[in-house]
Amino acid sequence: MPLKSTKSAKLFFRIFCVVLWLCGVVEAQERVLRWGADPSGGAPYVFTDPANPDRYIGYEKEMVDALAQAMGRRAEFVPSDWETLVSALQRKSFDVIVNGLEPTGDRAQQILFSKPYYIFQLQLTVRADDNRIHSLDDCKNRVVATLGNTAASRILQQQGIPFRSYADPVGAYRDLELKRIDAALFDVPAEAFYARPNPKLKPAGPPFTRGQYVIGLRKDDLALKAAIDTAIDKIILDGTLETILKKWGLWNDAQVEYEAPIRSGTQSTKVEEYTTTNATFNWREALWRLTRAAAVTVLIALGAMVIAIVLGLPLAVGQWKGPPWLRLFCTLYVEFFRGTPVLVQLLFLYFGLPVIGIAMPGWLTALVGLGLNYAAYESQVYRASLEAIAVGQWEAAYSLGMGPLLAFRRIILPQAFRIALPPMTNDFVSLFKDTSVAFAISVWELATAYRELANASGQFLLLGVAVSAFYLAMSLPMAHLARMLERRLSERTTARTVEEPEVATA
Amino acid sequence: MIRVTGLRKRFGNSEILKGIDFEVPPQTVLGVIGASGSGKSTLLRCLNGLETISGGSVEVDKVRLEAGLSPADYRRRVKDLRLKVGTVFQHFYLFPHLSVIGNIIEAPVHVLRTSKKKAEDEAYELLESVGLKQAARRYPGSLSGGEQQRVAIARALAMHPALLLLDEPTSALDPRRIHSLRALLRKFVERGHTMIIISHSMGFLGGVSDNILFMEGGVAVEYGPTDDVLQSPKDARTKDFLEQAE
Repeated sequence: MPLKSTKSAKLFFRIFCVVLWLCGVVEAQERVLRWGADPSGGAPYVFTDPANPDRYIGYEKEMVDALAQAMGRRAEFVPSDWETLVSALQRKSFDVIVNGLEPTGDRAQQILFSKPYYIFQLQLTVRADDNRIHSLDDCKNRVVATLGNTAASRILQQQGIPFRSYADPVGAYRDLELKRIDAALFDVPAEAFYARPNPKLKPAGPPFTRGQYVIGLRKDDLALKAAIDTAIDKIILDGTLETILKKWGLWNDAQVEYEAPIRSGTQSTKVEEYTTTNATFNWREALWRLTRAAAVTVLIALGAMVIAIVLGLPLAVGQWKGPPWLRLFCTLYVEFFRGTPVLVQLLFLYFGLPVIGIAMPGWLTALVGLGLNYAAYESQVYRASLEAIAVGQWEAAYSLGMGPLLAFRRIILPQAFRIALPPMTNDFVSLFKDTSVAFAISVWELATAYRELANASGQFLLLGVAVSAFYLAMSLPMAHLARMLERRLSERTTARTVEEPEVATA
Repeated sequence: MIRVTGLRKRFGNSEILKGIDFEVPPQTVLGVIGASGSGKSTLLRCLNGLETISGGSVEVDKVRLEAGLSPADYRRRVKDLRLKVGTVFQHFYLFPHLSVIGNIIEAPVHVLRTSKKKAEDEAYELLESVGLKQAARRYPGSLSGGEQQRVAIARALAMHPALLLLDEPTSALDPRRIHSLRALLRKFVERGHTMIIISHSMGFLGGVSDNILFMEGGVAVEYGPTDDVLQSPKDARTKDFLEQAE
């Protein structure tokens, strides 16, 4: 019965296809909810479980799991970077932002907000032995640390208090401990987790202002917003959220007040119940801050340059003519600084050195770190240049009665300098650009300025052009100056090469 | 008085100078001849302290450098010796970053601590006598080979050396300029200078040196007045060398 068997095979194939299709539908309905947040220094929101480093924990992690369950979805965490959360959301790296996000006017232009799930307050923290600062009013002339582009940073900005943006509270509280800054202003959840258990720090005054944490969504994701809002109501009503917040020590009166109308079913439709802070962005302010950042960049670059030039020479000579132990030391120095990333070196200097009692401010750390790093490179330029000078130059100097030091200083060094000048210029132009690694240790230089201003305003393109212009305005004159110097030096030694008729001598 | 006694120089296992003895009376020129590898360049480098000597001694104007001194003493003597001996290298080795006048006053100002004014006055006199006064402010890179050589001579003489060494001074010169160099050197001898000249050019040495030293295999084979050695050599090896040189 060949015919029948073909028929049943066809039928079987159709059933198989339907099953596959059904599976697909079920799979689609069992969709994942991808959520983005910055887990680095992110406790108690979401952070790496210290007991199990390949797992993330935190109250928001538990909350999203509950939300996803309420929505019939599976939560999937996408570790991201605080500063770029909004742009990552728009690039569809994930579906929602759940990272203690506040609904602000400038963000509202870019993304959609869910209803609030948590009411936060701000807490000012100072060193335990500090008797000067009791509230924000005492901070007018002090540097306050905070997270970039948050309610805290905007309040500081509005009140004209100088502040430094940090990528996470860990670095900020550590710098506070090390006296690099005078106070730190963070949302209470972070403060409760990182600062309160630290005996060297204490809260300055009671918590103040109230703000909302909301979930951020893409503008066109209205269906998801509705589903999320329903889910938030659901986990408030069944007490899941309360349980989670209590577990993390975050349940307080503000939450009770906020959840009460939802629980009693009399919630208002008003969204802006609490103060929201809006980023004030204007171009004059931005350009002024960029100019200041450029000045810091120039300071770091020039300072590092001086260290590199001064330290490079003894390294070069030591490696070239020194006794074996010195040669070994210089070689180790050079190989260490050339062989490890400058970023790692800076982080080491900034966070590692305070362990042995040396706590330099960020800009000085960047200056010294880049200086030490470039000294290694310069020493190799010098060494190659010194070795390029003919032995005959030494012998001519010796035969005129000069000692090694005099011969080096007067005869060899000036000639080597000419050879070294072009590669040195090259290095220093790239040093200007390398100052950008200082953003890793929260130094307000051009790259940091670009990142923060652009994140605050969304003006990545225009600010990028402005920042590039600043960099070029610094490196082009430098290159020009070096070229002029080179030309002048070579003009002097090779000018008038025309043979003049030889004059008889006797 | 310049006196070399039993001078030996070893590099590892090979002995380049095997006991050289000679004297150079004041205000005379000694020409040193010999094939390449005979040791004449090494001899020169021992005389200005660029090579340490392995045996014997070198004495120039009461400064006596000898083998077997303590390293510190040896260094001190070398320093003293270099103040007595001036060298004009085959490739001159002028300092390219300094002007002609800068090349000449460099050592007087920084080694002898002569005032810059005095050093410049002397330098101009020297430049005048080598016929290059007009080139004082030029840089070595813009000078011809002959001009560079005369600057190198002026630079060496600015230190008032008791002995002037010249290594292959004719190698970069055409015949006309060899002639004028010979005249220049004789002029300086008449003014009281003493010289040792290494050269392959018998014609040049014949006209400029008072005595000739012939070296072969690190040994001083023959030493005597120029005409005697060049016209009627006593040793068969000298004869061979001169025949081949012609």
